[in-house]
Amino acid sequence: MEPNQAAEHLQTIRTLMERSAVYRRALAPVMTFCGVIGIAGGVAGNWLPMNSARAFVLYWAVVAAVALTGTFLLVRRQSLKDAEPFWSPPTRRVTQALIPPLVVGAFLGVMVVWLELPREICAMLAALWFLLYGLAIHAAGFFMPRGLKLFGWWFLISGGLIFQVILARGIGDESVLNWLMGGLFGGSHLAYGIYLYFTEKRRKAT
Amino acid sequence: MNPEPFLQLDRVIHEKGRLAIMSLLAASPALSFTELRDTLGMTDGNLTTHLRILQEEGFVALSKSYANKRPLTTCSLTAAGKKAFTGYIDLLEQIVRQNKPR
Repeated sequence: MEPNQAAEHLQTIRTLMERSAVYRRALAPVMTFCGVIGIAGGVAGNWLPMNSARAFVLYWAVVAAVALTGTFLLVRRQSLKDAEPFWSPPTRRVTQALIPPLVVGAFLGVMVVWLELPREICAMLAALWFLLYGLAIHAAGFFMPRGLKLFGWWFLISGGLIFQVILARGIGDESVLNWLMGGLFGGSHLAYGIYLYFTEKRRKAT
Repeated sequence: MNPEPFLQLDRVIHEKGRLAIMSLLAASPALSFTELRDTLGMTDGNLTTHLRILQEEGFVALSKSYANKRPLTTCSLTAAGKKAFTGYIDLLEQIVRQNKPR
């Protein structure tokens, strides 16, 4: 065996080992579902009476719980269809990467409710949620297809810009927050889901 | 060039299909038969043959169970498989190093 052949062999082995660790479930249905739920949440949020930070946090916690439950069911359905274990090593890695920033986001929400902070805090909380969600997605992106990291960056940049605007100018009309949440969370997921429908490689049915 | 490292390469692992299987299993505690098949684009028969050879060598362990009333075959590397794979990588690296300009 020539040294350059050995080097090629090593490169192939490295690529295969990386592929083995990557999460391979189809993301298009999950992203689309989260997008629809997010947009519906944004629209419905404007119709519901939300006069306090507590109501805002609890409302979006419910929306997040619906999105998480749907995601869980969609992923579980895929694993059943493919006759593969649900709690596979890549699923475990992705979950472990997602959890810390999401827990911090939930903790901030609990603190806002617990301390009965004024409604004005919601804008800052929403911006922090965007940033933390971006961090979670970016961390999970190390074990998922490459586009996920860019998706994480999208939330980090958007969250950073919103934070900047809030610090510099405040937020005039607080009802805009539900639109912002629905538009950025829901709209981004829906757009990415549609993109994935056209680009994600269809896995063979088992 | 010293041919010694090349002569020591494990013939069972050196085959392209089996090396691919070993590489995937080395990066994951266990993979299902379908995950291996889909990732490598192998046919059922081809993958079964390679797995049987690796199992006979003691490099791979197969466990059969049921998940939601459907048979589930899970594959993983044995301790001997991990050792053989690590040894194989070391030899490849040795071959690459041999020809590096000093």
